[in-house]
Amino acid sequence: MRRLLDSELELFVESDFIYLPLLLDPSIEKETQSLFQSGSPGKNTAQPESKTIIKHNTRHFVKTIKVHSLLDSYKAINAHHYNRLRDDCLRKYRLTQGADGIFVDETLKKILFLILPHFVRNNKNLRRRKLAEEEVLDFIAERIDIPQKYHEDALAFLDLEPLHEILRGLEDRKPVLKPPGEGLQPASKLRAWFHEAIQAKVLADERYRVKKALQVRQQLSREKPEHIAIFLYIADMGSIEIDGFGFSRMKFPKEYLIYKRTGEYVLRDYYGRSYLFPDCRVAVSTYTPSRPFVVEKYKHPFLRGYQANQEICMKAIEVANEPTASNIIRILEEGITALLYGYDARRRNGYHSLDKTFVYIPTIAFEEYRI
Amino acid sequence: MTEAEHKKDLHVDEAEKLIPLVLEIIPGHAAEGLISVYEPGRYEGESLRGLCERILNKTNLSIEEQLILEDISRQLEGGKLFCRGQEISGTALEFAVSEKTEAGEKYFYVPVRAIKPQEGGIFSSGPE
Repeated sequence: MRRLLDSELELFVESDFIYLPLLLDPSIEKETQSLFQSGSPGKNTAQPESKTIIKHNTRHFVKTIKVHSLLDSYKAINAHHYNRLRDDCLRKYRLTQGADGIFVDETLKKILFLILPHFVRNNKNLRRRKLAEEEVLDFIAERIDIPQKYHEDALAFLDLEPLHEILRGLEDRKPVLKPPGEGLQPASKLRAWFHEAIQAKVLADERYRVKKALQVRQQLSREKPEHIAIFLYIADMGSIEIDGFGFSRMKFPKEYLIYKRTGEYVLRDYYGRSYLFPDCRVAVSTYTPSRPFVVEKYKHPFLRGYQANQEICMKAIEVANEPTASNIIRILEEGITALLYGYDARRRNGYHSLDKTFVYIPTIAFEEYRI
Repeated sequence: MTEAEHKKDLHVDEAEKLIPLVLEIIPGHAAEGLISVYEPGRYEGESLRGLCERILNKTNLSIEEQLILEDISRQLEGGKLFCRGQEISGTALEFAVSEKTEAGEKYFYVPVRAIKPQEGGIFSSGPE
Protein backbone atom coordinates (compact mmCIF):
# COMPACT_ATOMS: atom_id res chain seq x y z
CA MET A 1 0.00 0.00 0.00
CA ARG A 2 2.84 2.35 0.88
CA ARG A 3 4.28 1.84 -2.60
CA LEU A 4 0.96 2.94 -4.12
CA LEU A 5 0.90 6.07 -1.97
CA ASP A 6 4.50 6.78 -2.95
CA SER A 7 3.73 6.28 -6.65
CA GLU A 8 2.88 8.89 -9.26
CA LEU A 9 -0.52 7.33 -9.98
CA GLU A 10 -3.79 9.20 -9.84
CA LEU A 11 -6.18 7.68 -7.34
CA PHE A 12 -9.85 8.17 -6.83
CA VAL A 13 -11.40 8.56 -3.39
CA GLU A 14 -15.08 8.02 -2.84
CA SER A 15 -17.15 7.11 0.22
CA ASP A 16 -13.96 6.64 2.29
CA PHE A 17 -12.58 4.10 -0.19
CA ILE A 18 -9.49 4.33 -2.33
CA TYR A 19 -10.04 3.36 -5.95
CA LEU A 20 -7.09 2.39 -8.09
CA PRO A 21 -6.90 2.67 -11.91
CA LEU A 22 -8.25 -0.49 -13.43
CA LEU A 23 -5.84 -2.41 -15.61
CA LEU A 24 -6.99 -2.36 -19.16
CA ASP A 25 -6.60 -5.73 -20.65
CA PRO A 26 -9.17 -6.58 -23.38
CA SER A 27 -11.01 -9.22 -21.36
CA ILE A 28 -11.35 -6.90 -18.34
CA GLU A 29 -12.50 -4.10 -20.59
CA LYS A 30 -15.19 -6.35 -22.10
CA GLU A 31 -16.29 -7.46 -18.63
CA THR A 32 -16.48 -3.87 -17.44
CA GLN A 33 -18.49 -2.75 -20.43
CA SER A 34 -21.04 -5.51 -19.86
CA LEU A 35 -21.29 -4.51 -16.17
CA PHE A 36 -21.99 -0.89 -17.06
CA GLN A 37 -24.47 -1.92 -19.78
CA SER A 38 -26.40 -4.00 -17.23
CA GLY A 39 -26.56 -0.88 -15.05
CA SER A 40 -25.05 -2.43 -11.90
CA PRO A 41 -21.25 -1.94 -12.02
CA GLY A 42 -20.39 -4.21 -9.14
CA LYS A 43 -22.95 -3.16 -6.61
CA ASN A 44 -21.91 -4.12 -3.09
CA THR A 45 -24.74 -5.56 -1.04
CA ALA A 46 -22.97 -4.87 2.26
CA GLN A 47 -22.15 -1.27 1.35
CA PRO A 48 -24.68 -0.21 -1.27
CA GLU A 49 -23.39 3.38 -1.25
CA SER A 50 -20.02 2.36 -2.73
CA LYS A 51 -19.45 0.70 -6.07
CA THR A 52 -16.77 -1.82 -6.92
CA ILE A 53 -15.93 -0.11 -10.17
CA ILE A 54 -16.45 3.50 -11.00
CA LYS A 55 -15.97 5.42 -14.21
CA HIS A 56 -14.43 8.85 -14.25
CA ASN A 57 -14.34 10.50 -17.67
CA THR A 58 -13.04 7.66 -19.80
CA ARG A 59 -11.12 5.88 -17.04
CA HIS A 60 -12.19 3.06 -14.79
CA PHE A 61 -11.20 2.67 -11.15
CA VAL A 62 -11.54 -0.39 -8.96
CA LYS A 63 -12.36 -0.28 -5.28
CA THR A 64 -9.52 -1.35 -2.96
CA ILE A 65 -9.19 -0.44 0.68
CA LYS A 66 -11.11 1.74 3.09
CA VAL A 67 -9.07 4.80 4.02
CA HIS A 68 -9.86 4.64 7.74
CA SER A 69 -9.23 0.90 7.93
CA LEU A 70 -5.79 1.57 6.51
CA LEU A 71 -5.31 4.33 9.05
CA ASP A 72 -6.43 2.19 11.99
CA SER A 73 -4.41 -0.85 10.99
CA TYR A 74 -1.29 0.87 9.71
CA LYS A 75 0.64 0.13 12.90
CA ALA A 76 0.19 -3.60 12.22
CA ILE A 77 0.55 -3.38 8.42
CA ASN A 78 3.84 -1.47 8.41
CA ALA A 79 5.17 -1.13 11.94
CA HIS A 80 8.52 0.27 10.82
CA HIS A 81 7.02 3.14 8.82
CA TYR A 82 4.37 3.81 11.45
CA ASN A 83 7.05 4.13 14.13
CA ARG A 84 9.02 6.50 11.92
CA LEU A 85 5.99 8.71 11.43
CA ARG A 86 5.24 8.48 15.15
CA ASP A 87 8.79 9.49 16.10
CA ASP A 88 8.70 12.40 13.64
CA CYS A 89 5.46 13.59 15.17
CA LEU A 90 6.70 13.31 18.76
CA ARG A 91 9.91 15.10 17.82
CA LYS A 92 7.94 17.89 16.14
CA TYR A 93 6.24 18.70 19.45
CA ARG A 94 9.34 17.81 21.54
CA LEU A 95 7.33 14.99 23.06
CA THR A 96 10.07 12.38 22.96
CA GLN A 97 10.50 10.53 26.23
CA GLY A 98 13.93 12.07 26.84
CA ALA A 99 12.87 15.69 26.32
CA ASP A 100 10.29 15.92 29.10
CA GLY A 101 11.70 13.13 31.25
CA ILE A 102 15.01 14.96 31.61
CA PHE A 103 13.36 17.75 33.63
CA VAL A 104 12.10 15.32 36.25
CA ASP A 105 15.29 13.24 36.32
CA GLU A 106 16.34 13.49 39.96
CA THR A 107 19.65 11.70 39.35
CA LEU A 108 20.63 14.25 36.72
CA LYS A 109 19.70 17.11 39.06
CA LYS A 110 21.85 15.54 41.77
CA ILE A 111 24.79 15.38 39.36
CA LEU A 112 24.35 18.93 38.06
CA PHE A 113 23.57 20.74 41.27
CA LEU A 114 25.45 18.76 43.93
CA ILE A 115 28.26 16.70 42.40
CA LEU A 116 29.46 18.97 39.57
CA PRO A 117 29.94 22.05 41.81
CA HIS A 118 32.10 19.94 44.12
CA PHE A 119 34.56 19.01 41.37
CA VAL A 120 34.49 22.09 39.17
CA ARG A 121 35.77 25.48 40.26
CA ASN A 122 33.00 27.90 39.55
CA ASN A 123 34.10 31.19 41.04
CA LYS A 124 37.25 33.20 41.31
CA ASN A 125 36.27 34.96 44.52
CA LEU A 126 37.80 34.28 47.88
CA ARG A 127 34.34 33.95 49.38
CA ARG A 128 33.00 30.40 49.50
CA ARG A 129 29.29 29.86 49.08
CA LYS A 130 26.96 27.25 47.67
CA LEU A 131 25.65 28.15 44.24
CA ALA A 132 21.91 28.22 43.61
CA GLU A 133 20.61 25.92 40.87
CA GLU A 134 20.17 28.89 38.52
CA GLU A 135 23.75 29.95 39.08
CA VAL A 136 25.01 26.44 38.34
CA LEU A 137 23.06 26.44 35.07
CA ASP A 138 24.42 29.91 34.21
CA PHE A 139 27.91 28.56 34.84
CA ILE A 140 27.29 25.49 32.63
CA ALA A 141 25.85 27.71 29.89
CA GLU A 142 29.04 29.79 30.01
CA ARG A 143 31.32 26.77 29.85
CA ILE A 144 29.59 24.55 27.30
CA ASP A 145 29.04 25.57 23.73
CA ILE A 146 25.43 24.50 23.25
CA PRO A 147 24.60 24.40 19.50
CA GLN A 148 22.06 26.95 18.25
CA LYS A 149 19.61 24.14 17.44
CA TYR A 150 19.02 23.51 21.16
CA HIS A 151 18.38 27.20 21.83
CA GLU A 152 15.76 27.19 19.08
CA ASP A 153 14.32 23.96 20.49
CA ALA A 154 14.16 25.55 23.94
CA LEU A 155 12.06 28.44 22.63
CA ALA A 156 9.72 26.00 20.86
CA PHE A 157 9.65 23.87 24.02
CA LEU A 158 8.47 26.81 26.09
CA ASP A 159 5.72 27.70 23.60
CA LEU A 160 2.79 25.87 25.15
CA GLU A 161 0.15 26.91 22.60
CA PRO A 162 0.57 23.96 20.16
CA LEU A 163 0.13 21.45 22.99
CA HIS A 164 -2.82 23.40 24.39
CA GLU A 165 -4.40 23.27 20.95
CA ILE A 166 -3.90 19.50 20.64
CA LEU A 167 -5.40 18.92 24.08
CA ARG A 168 -8.35 21.22 23.43
CA GLY A 169 -9.05 19.31 20.21
CA LEU A 170 -8.85 15.97 22.01
CA GLU A 171 -11.02 17.11 24.89
CA ASP A 172 -13.70 18.59 22.62
CA ARG A 173 -13.76 15.23 20.81
CA LYS A 174 -13.37 17.02 17.51
CA PRO A 175 -12.40 14.74 14.64
CA VAL A 176 -8.63 14.59 14.66
CA LEU A 177 -8.47 15.40 10.98
CA LYS A 178 -10.86 16.18 8.13
CA PRO A 179 -11.49 13.18 5.83
CA PRO A 180 -9.51 13.15 2.59
CA GLY A 181 -10.97 15.07 -0.30
CA GLU A 182 -13.16 13.01 -2.63
CA GLY A 183 -12.59 12.53 -6.34
CA LEU A 184 -9.56 12.12 -8.51
CA GLN A 185 -6.30 13.13 -6.92
CA PRO A 186 -2.59 12.40 -7.22
CA ALA A 187 -1.21 9.74 -4.86
CA SER A 188 1.11 12.36 -3.37
CA LYS A 189 -1.87 14.38 -2.11
CA LEU A 190 -3.42 11.34 -0.47
CA ARG A 191 -0.01 10.43 0.98
CA ALA A 192 0.33 13.88 2.57
CA TRP A 193 -3.14 13.56 4.07
CA PHE A 194 -2.33 10.07 5.30
CA HIS A 195 0.84 11.21 7.08
CA GLU A 196 -1.05 14.03 8.77
CA ALA A 197 -3.77 11.60 9.78
CA ILE A 198 -1.22 9.23 11.31
CA GLN A 199 0.27 12.13 13.29
CA ALA A 200 -3.16 13.17 14.53
CA LYS A 201 -3.80 9.57 15.56
CA VAL A 202 -0.46 9.41 17.37
CA LEU A 203 -1.30 12.56 19.32
CA ALA A 204 -4.72 11.14 20.23
CA ASP A 205 -3.07 7.89 21.38
CA GLU A 206 -0.45 9.87 23.33
CA ARG A 207 -2.99 12.06 25.05
CA TYR A 208 -1.61 11.19 28.50
CA ARG A 209 1.90 12.10 27.39
CA VAL A 210 0.73 15.41 25.91
CA LYS A 211 -1.05 16.24 29.17
CA LYS A 212 2.00 15.34 31.26
CA ALA A 213 4.33 17.28 28.95
CA LEU A 214 2.12 20.31 29.28
CA GLN A 215 2.23 20.08 33.08
CA VAL A 216 6.04 19.83 33.07
CA ARG A 217 6.41 22.72 30.63
CA GLN A 218 4.01 24.92 32.56
CA GLN A 219 6.31 24.51 35.58
CA LEU A 220 9.29 25.44 33.41
CA SER A 221 7.66 28.50 31.89
CA ARG A 222 9.72 30.88 34.03
CA GLU A 223 13.04 29.21 33.30
CA LYS A 224 15.57 30.90 31.08
CA PRO A 225 15.60 29.42 27.55
CA GLU A 226 19.39 28.89 27.80
CA HIS A 227 18.81 26.68 30.86
CA ILE A 228 16.17 24.66 29.00
CA ALA A 229 18.65 24.35 26.10
CA ILE A 230 21.18 22.71 28.47
CA PHE A 231 18.67 20.03 29.47
CA LEU A 232 17.58 19.43 25.87
CA TYR A 233 21.24 19.12 24.88
CA ILE A 234 21.84 16.57 27.63
CA ALA A 235 18.64 14.69 26.68
CA ASP A 236 19.95 14.44 23.13
CA MET A 237 23.71 13.98 23.61
CA GLY A 238 23.59 12.15 26.95
CA SER A 239 26.79 13.65 28.29
CA ILE A 240 28.75 16.76 29.15
CA GLU A 241 32.26 17.42 30.48
CA ILE A 242 33.61 20.54 32.19
CA ASP A 243 37.17 20.85 33.49
CA GLY A 244 37.73 17.11 33.62
CA PHE A 245 34.46 16.34 35.37
CA GLY A 246 31.76 14.73 33.29
CA PHE A 247 28.97 12.24 33.05
CA SER A 248 27.29 10.18 30.38
CA ARG A 249 23.93 8.49 30.31
CA MET A 250 23.91 4.71 30.53
CA LYS A 251 21.57 2.27 28.77
CA PHE A 252 19.29 2.09 31.81
CA PRO A 253 16.91 5.03 32.07
CA LYS A 254 17.98 7.77 34.49
CA GLU A 255 21.29 6.06 35.26
CA TYR A 256 24.61 7.76 34.61
CA LEU A 257 28.31 7.14 34.57
CA ILE A 258 29.97 9.95 36.51
CA TYR A 259 33.69 10.51 36.11
CA LYS A 260 36.56 12.78 36.99
CA ARG A 261 39.78 12.94 35.03
CA THR A 262 43.00 12.47 36.98
CA GLY A 263 45.21 14.50 34.65
CA GLU A 264 48.83 13.35 34.29
CA TYR A 265 50.53 12.41 37.55
CA VAL A 266 53.81 11.02 38.77
CA LEU A 267 54.49 7.98 40.99
CA ARG A 268 57.89 6.99 42.34
CA ASP A 269 59.36 3.52 42.65
CA TYR A 270 61.53 2.00 45.38
CA TYR A 271 64.65 3.65 43.93
CA GLY A 272 63.07 7.10 43.71
CA ARG A 273 62.66 6.96 39.94
CA SER A 274 59.63 8.81 38.57
CA TYR A 275 56.91 7.38 36.33
CA LEU A 276 54.57 9.70 34.46
CA PHE A 277 51.09 8.20 34.25
CA PRO A 278 48.70 9.40 31.53
CA ASP A 279 45.35 10.99 32.23
CA CYS A 280 42.42 8.65 32.82
CA ARG A 281 38.79 8.86 33.88
CA VAL A 282 37.92 7.46 37.30
CA ALA A 283 34.21 6.69 37.21
CA VAL A 284 31.31 5.35 39.22
CA SER A 285 27.93 4.37 37.94
CA THR A 286 24.79 5.56 39.70
CA TYR A 287 23.45 2.03 39.18
CA THR A 288 26.14 0.34 41.28
CA PRO A 289 28.02 3.18 42.93
CA SER A 290 30.06 1.20 45.44
CA ARG A 291 33.26 0.66 43.42
CA PRO A 292 35.16 3.16 41.31
CA PHE A 293 36.80 2.01 38.09
CA VAL A 294 39.00 3.37 35.32
CA VAL A 295 37.15 3.86 32.05
CA GLU A 296 40.10 3.72 29.65
CA LYS A 297 42.42 0.85 28.83
CA TYR A 298 44.90 1.58 31.58
CA LYS A 299 47.61 0.07 33.72
CA HIS A 300 48.52 0.96 37.29
CA PRO A 301 49.78 -0.92 40.35
CA PHE A 302 46.19 -0.85 41.68
CA LEU A 303 44.61 -2.32 38.54
CA ARG A 304 44.70 -6.05 37.91
CA GLY A 305 45.38 -5.98 34.16
CA TYR A 306 45.86 -3.67 31.22
CA GLN A 307 42.37 -3.17 29.89
CA ALA A 308 39.34 -0.88 30.03
CA ASN A 309 36.72 -0.64 32.79
CA GLN A 310 38.83 -2.14 35.59
CA GLU A 311 37.80 -1.73 39.21
CA ILE A 312 40.40 -0.02 41.35
CA CYS A 313 41.83 -2.16 44.12
CA MET A 314 40.91 -0.27 47.30
CA LYS A 315 40.58 -0.53 51.00
CA ALA A 316 36.88 -0.91 51.88
CA ILE A 317 35.04 2.41 52.10
CA GLU A 318 32.43 2.83 54.78
CA VAL A 319 29.63 4.23 52.66
CA ALA A 320 26.19 2.85 51.99
CA ASN A 321 25.56 1.47 48.53
CA GLU A 322 23.10 4.27 47.83
CA PRO A 323 23.79 6.69 45.01
CA THR A 324 23.51 9.82 47.14
CA ALA A 325 25.56 12.82 46.02
CA SER A 326 27.88 12.61 49.03
CA ASN A 327 28.47 8.87 48.51
CA ILE A 328 29.29 9.35 44.85
CA ILE A 329 31.67 12.23 45.63
CA ARG A 330 33.34 10.17 48.35
CA ILE A 331 33.77 7.07 46.18
CA LEU A 332 35.10 9.05 43.20
CA GLU A 333 37.57 10.82 45.47
CA GLU A 334 38.73 7.56 47.02
CA GLY A 335 39.31 6.12 43.55
CA ILE A 336 41.37 9.13 42.44
CA THR A 337 43.31 9.15 45.72
CA ALA A 338 44.10 5.45 45.28
CA LEU A 339 45.62 6.09 41.84
CA LEU A 340 47.45 9.33 42.69
CA TYR A 341 48.50 8.80 46.31
CA GLY A 342 47.91 5.13 47.13
CA TYR A 343 51.05 3.45 45.86
CA ASP A 344 53.78 3.11 48.47
CA ALA A 345 57.19 2.62 46.84
CA ARG A 346 58.61 0.91 49.94
CA ARG A 347 55.73 -1.49 50.47
CA ARG A 348 55.05 -1.99 46.76
CA ASN A 349 51.37 -2.36 47.57
CA GLY A 350 48.75 -3.18 44.93
CA TYR A 351 48.80 -5.89 42.27
CA HIS A 352 52.03 -4.78 40.64
CA SER A 353 55.30 -3.14 41.56
CA LEU A 354 56.61 -0.18 39.56
CA ASP A 355 60.16 -1.55 39.65
CA LYS A 356 61.11 -5.17 38.99
CA THR A 357 61.46 -7.13 42.21
CA PHE A 358 64.20 -9.69 42.95
CA VAL A 359 61.77 -12.57 42.67
CA TYR A 360 60.67 -12.32 39.07
CA ILE A 361 56.95 -12.71 38.64
CA PRO A 362 55.59 -11.89 35.19
CA THR A 363 53.42 -8.85 35.71
CA ILE A 364 52.45 -5.55 34.12
CA ALA A 365 55.53 -3.45 33.25
CA PHE A 366 55.68 0.31 33.71
CA GLU A 367 59.08 1.05 32.15
CA GLU A 368 57.57 3.05 29.29
CA TYR A 369 56.20 5.55 31.82
CA ARG A 370 59.58 6.16 33.46
CA ILE A 371 60.90 9.72 33.12
CA MET B 1 75.23 45.15 29.99
CA THR B 2 73.79 43.62 26.83
CA GLU B 3 70.15 44.12 25.92
CA ALA B 4 69.39 40.50 26.78
CA GLU B 5 70.98 40.86 30.26
CA HIS B 6 69.04 44.08 30.84
CA LYS B 7 65.73 42.32 29.97
CA LYS B 8 66.65 39.41 32.25
CA ASP B 9 67.29 41.81 35.14
CA LEU B 10 63.94 43.48 34.66
CA HIS B 11 62.29 40.04 34.72
CA VAL B 12 64.06 39.15 37.98
CA ASP B 13 63.00 42.45 39.53
CA GLU B 14 59.41 41.70 38.59
CA ALA B 15 59.58 38.24 40.14
CA GLU B 16 61.15 39.49 43.32
CA LYS B 17 58.65 42.28 43.80
CA LEU B 18 56.70 41.76 46.97
CA ILE B 19 53.27 40.44 46.12
CA PRO B 20 50.59 38.82 48.25
CA LEU B 21 50.31 35.07 48.72
CA VAL B 22 47.00 33.26 48.28
CA LEU B 23 47.03 29.91 50.04
CA GLU B 24 44.17 27.47 49.51
CA ILE B 25 43.66 24.23 51.41
CA ILE B 26 41.40 21.94 49.37
CA PRO B 27 39.77 18.83 50.83
CA GLY B 28 40.42 15.71 48.75
CA HIS B 29 39.86 16.31 45.05
CA ALA B 30 37.32 19.08 45.44
CA ALA B 31 37.56 22.15 43.24
CA GLU B 32 37.53 24.72 46.00
CA GLY B 33 38.90 24.97 49.50
CA LEU B 34 39.59 27.36 52.34
CA ILE B 35 41.47 30.41 51.21
CA SER B 36 43.66 32.85 53.06
CA VAL B 37 45.52 35.85 51.70
CA TYR B 38 48.87 36.82 53.25
CA GLU B 39 50.19 40.30 52.56
CA PRO B 40 53.87 40.69 51.64
CA GLY B 41 56.06 40.45 54.71
CA ARG B 42 53.63 38.18 56.57
CA TYR B 43 54.48 34.84 54.97
CA GLU B 44 58.10 34.83 53.81
CA GLY B 45 59.62 33.77 57.10
CA GLU B 46 57.12 31.08 57.89
CA SER B 47 56.96 27.46 56.71
CA LEU B 48 54.14 26.35 54.42
CA ARG B 49 52.93 23.97 57.13
CA GLY B 50 52.80 26.85 59.61
CA LEU B 51 50.72 28.95 57.19
CA CYS B 52 48.37 25.99 56.63
CA GLU B 53 47.92 25.57 60.37
CA ARG B 54 47.02 29.23 60.63
CA ILE B 55 44.19 28.66 58.13
CA LEU B 56 43.03 25.49 59.84
CA ASN B 57 42.86 27.30 63.19
CA LYS B 58 40.69 30.11 61.87
CA THR B 59 37.52 30.63 63.86
CA ASN B 60 35.45 33.29 62.10
CA LEU B 61 34.25 31.06 59.28
CA SER B 62 31.04 31.22 57.29
CA ILE B 63 28.78 28.16 57.25
CA GLU B 64 30.12 27.13 53.83
CA GLU B 65 33.71 27.52 55.05
CA GLN B 66 32.91 25.48 58.16
CA LEU B 67 31.66 22.66 55.93
CA ILE B 68 34.89 22.79 53.92
CA LEU B 69 36.91 22.76 57.16
CA GLU B 70 34.99 19.67 58.34
CA ASP B 71 35.82 18.00 55.05
CA ILE B 72 39.50 18.91 55.43
CA SER B 73 39.52 17.60 59.01
CA ARG B 74 37.99 14.31 57.86
CA GLN B 75 40.73 13.95 55.26
CA LEU B 76 43.42 14.81 57.78
CA GLU B 77 42.34 12.03 60.15
CA GLY B 78 45.23 9.82 59.07
CA GLY B 79 45.83 11.98 56.03
CA LYS B 80 48.44 14.49 54.92
CA LEU B 81 48.78 17.85 53.20
CA PHE B 82 50.10 17.63 49.66
CA CYS B 83 51.15 20.31 47.23
CA ARG B 84 51.90 19.59 43.59
CA GLY B 85 51.98 15.84 44.22
CA GLN B 86 54.34 15.87 47.20
CA GLU B 87 53.96 16.20 50.94
CA ILE B 88 54.38 19.81 52.00
CA SER B 89 57.67 21.01 53.41
CA GLY B 90 59.76 24.18 53.21
CA THR B 91 58.28 27.55 52.41
CA ALA B 92 55.22 28.55 50.45
CA LEU B 93 57.30 30.28 47.79
CA GLU B 94 58.88 26.93 46.85
CA PHE B 95 55.45 25.78 45.65
CA ALA B 96 54.03 29.11 44.46
CA VAL B 97 53.02 30.06 40.96
CA SER B 98 52.41 33.61 39.92
CA GLU B 99 48.85 34.42 38.88
CA LYS B 100 46.85 37.55 38.09
CA THR B 101 43.47 38.75 39.29
CA GLU B 102 40.88 39.90 36.75
CA ALA B 103 42.05 43.43 37.52
CA GLY B 104 45.58 42.44 36.53
CA GLU B 105 47.10 42.42 40.04
CA LYS B 106 49.76 39.78 40.52
CA TYR B 107 49.78 37.32 43.42
CA PHE B 108 51.41 34.03 44.36
CA TYR B 109 49.07 31.04 44.53
CA VAL B 110 49.71 27.83 46.45
CA PRO B 111 47.09 25.08 46.35
CA VAL B 112 47.44 22.50 49.12
CA ARG B 113 45.33 19.34 49.16
CA ALA B 114 44.31 17.49 52.31
CA ILE B 115 44.35 13.83 51.29
CA LYS B 116 43.62 10.74 53.33
CA PRO B 117 45.62 8.06 51.53
CA GLN B 118 43.76 5.16 50.02
CA GLU B 119 46.18 2.28 50.25
CA GLY B 120 44.28 -0.21 48.16
CA GLY B 121 44.26 -3.85 49.03
CA ILE B 122 40.73 -5.13 48.90
CA PHE B 123 39.06 -6.26 45.74
CA SER B 124 35.68 -7.94 45.50
CA SER B 125 37.26 -11.19 44.23
CA GLY B 126 40.13 -10.94 46.75
CA PRO B 127 43.42 -10.35 44.95
CA GLU B 128 45.62 -10.10 48.01
